[in-house]
Amino acid sequence: MFIRSDDKISTSQTSIFLTNTVLGAGILTLPRSVTNVVQTPDAWISVLLGGVMIILLAILMVKLSQQFPSNTVFQYSKRIVGTIPAAVLCLLLIIYFIIIAGFEARVMAEVTLFYLLEGTPVWAIIISFIWVGAYLIFGGINSIARVYQIVFPISILILLLSYFLSVRIFDIDHLRPFLGEGILPVIKGLKSTILIFTGFEVIMNLVAHMQHPEQAVKAVVTGISIPIVLYLLTVVMVIGGLSTDGVLRSTWPTLDLLRSFEVAGLFFERFEFPFLVIWLMQMFCNFISFYFNASLGISQVFGLKAPSVFFGLMPLIFLTSMIPKRINDVFNLGDAIGVMGIIMFVLIPGMLSVIYIIRKKGLKQDV
Amino acid sequence: MCRRQLLNLMLIMGVLLTQTGCWSSFEIEDLSLYGGLALDEGEPTETEQDLNKQGGSYPRKNLITATIQIVPVNSFGSKSKSDKGHTAQYLNISETGDSLLEILRQYSVRLERMVIGHHLKVIIISTKLAQKQSMDQILDFVLRDNDIRPSCTVFLSEGKAMDVLEASRPGEVSAFRIQGMLRNHYRTSKVMKGVNLSQLDALMNSKRSFVLQNIISTKKDLEFAGAGIIKGETGNWIGSLDQPDVESISWIKGEVQGGAIKSYTEKNVPVIYEIKSMKSKMKAKVQGDDISFHVDIQSQGRFTENWDIKNDPSKAQFMEEAEKIFEKRLSQMIDSLMWKMQSKYKVDVAGFGECLSIQHPHVWKKVKDHWDEEFSQIPVTFDIKLKITDFGSSLK
Repeated sequence: MFIRSDDKISTSQTSIFLTNTVLGAGILTLPRSVTNVVQTPDAWISVLLGGVMIILLAILMVKLSQQFPSNTVFQYSKRIVGTIPAAVLCLLLIIYFIIIAGFEARVMAEVTLFYLLEGTPVWAIIISFIWVGAYLIFGGINSIARVYQIVFPISILILLLSYFLSVRIFDIDHLRPFLGEGILPVIKGLKSTILIFTGFEVIMNLVAHMQHPEQAVKAVVTGISIPIVLYLLTVVMVIGGLSTDGVLRSTWPTLDLLRSFEVAGLFFERFEFPFLVIWLMQMFCNFISFYFNASLGISQVFGLKAPSVFFGLMPLIFLTSMIPKRINDVFNLGDAIGVMGIIMFVLIPGMLSVIYIIRKKGLKQDV
Repeated sequence: MCRRQLLNLMLIMGVLLTQTGCWSSFEIEDLSLYGGLALDEGEPTETEQDLNKQGGSYPRKNLITATIQIVPVNSFGSKSKSDKGHTAQYLNISETGDSLLEILRQYSVRLERMVIGHHLKVIIISTKLAQKQSMDQILDFVLRDNDIRPSCTVFLSEGKAMDVLEASRPGEVSAFRIQGMLRNHYRTSKVMKGVNLSQLDALMNSKRSFVLQNIISTKKDLEFAGAGIIKGETGNWIGSLDQPDVESISWIKGEVQGGAIKSYTEKNVPVIYEIKSMKSKMKAKVQGDDISFHVDIQSQGRFTENWDIKNDPSKAQFMEEAEKIFEKRLSQMIDSLMWKMQSKYKVDVAGFGECLSIQHPHVWKKVKDHWDEEFSQIPVTFDIKLKITDFGSSLK
């Protein structure tokens, strides 16, 4: 079911897949989480530097994956470290993906409940989300990639339009002084900016699905550059519009930016609603990516049939999304996911590459 | 086969039935949208007192009286022709209590349609309330709420805030009128740029002092009159600035988009300078521990009105003389503002702190906690250059 010969995605589809995996609910809280650590208007530099670091890490992952054509990380890890250790590592990665999927669904539900569908029960939103997601995943990676291709331009367009309209409250003085307290706060902020790119690990599975795996580096650089640019734009526009003091006081700063002005004479007067509605699709794509990769992992590691994995994961993701009781727990979970992401990186591509290189140099015939 | 089709048909019908409506939607006719919110010191209105006498009360402290302006009051049904032009377009209703949310919910025991804040445009706070409670406390609910948008503008009123919502011409809604008046900023800088809730939130978080436009009202009319000062540390109202002061703030900050300067010649007749463009550059100088500011103001304008009929404005010599007169007038206005800021109220509301924080972030870090006190000792120099470029369509 999973690796079918016809189920391959093109290079540009890979880029969009990666972009949609990174770009999700994070954009709603990003300006606050970064500013909270940086405390100066220089948060955007952190985003830029963090993004460049992520590209380098992603290229390392691609290089490792390219050594095992048509194998996902769940398959090639056992060829590097052996069956049992690999199973443990893969299981960690699967749990990581499930937690992110649950988290994304929950953040989506929190925002929707607060601004759009007050009074709708939270389960009604999350469960329908998971159902539609499961339906899409049954179609395999190709269908997912095609949905991404449809959603991506729409959501980006509305995002850019919203930011363009918010220029009216943009004040360049809110972004000054430039490096007023030196480079140190920017470095401190790197930690939180790396967290917003969590999920790019899926590239270790995507390479196996590519029609032209040799173009994977190109796909990754494009796929991560798009979120970097959009994140950069988000931080600049939101801090420029609300100032650092305002951002620190806002639960959903990006939405508050859109809520801070009204556009008279245009089809929409208030842009938070169209933005949120469209961004729901983006959060859906984001969610699908983790749902898909988690099921891919379970099915490949435990040799289970795909449909049973899909159905089995549905309640699991739902329960994960319902674990946080308060909104604080939701945000804490978000931070925890970031830390997990770093651990995942050290364990999986990091450790695997080192072991792979050692084994290749030591016993060339073995691998 | 037939059974399968039937099943499909039922499925489609089921989907249609469940997809037609929202889970918890409300018809707009069943809502009371309010466009204005006025916050006063807690003092029950007559209607409320009567209701309370009859037993319509609940445990509360009378800290705040909130008045909402519901628009339009007769959106459907009762629009009879004889009413036209006579009835008010809005309904103002007040409640007293100690929690804004509770007050807003309390309207549900008095009104048949639920009140909803999605279309709130202006919030007016009486200076008496702002003197007692900090702005942070007063506006906490409004900032937290998910219905009320942070785009609504906040004003102060030296009289009763609820009277401002009451003051309007027939067929007009004062909340919308106030919002419209904000656009006149480019006609005269006596109209400040509106401060919306998210800006206010940032200002309160930064603990900087700031000004909000002040509204005064009579029974029939209202007017923007100067500004009220909110002290950053406490969030309380501490005093007022008059209309020329508000203009001076705009001159210092470089936000003037239009307007005029009026002065008098030696013969004591008025001459008017119409502002076409202006630029202002503020520079903070730091020498050791000493901070000083220099503000460079440049403007170009037109000689629009001249009551001194003996003199010809098209003559270069008279133009230069007039420039001096206008410069002197502007400098007087600014001096008066500086005196109020540095001596009378000891606050900085003209953006000097921001300038320092941008130009000398390290110095700012040291002084920002007691900036208002620090500022009152800081020398500020001005360099004002007004240039008359033309004299309109009349030569004489």
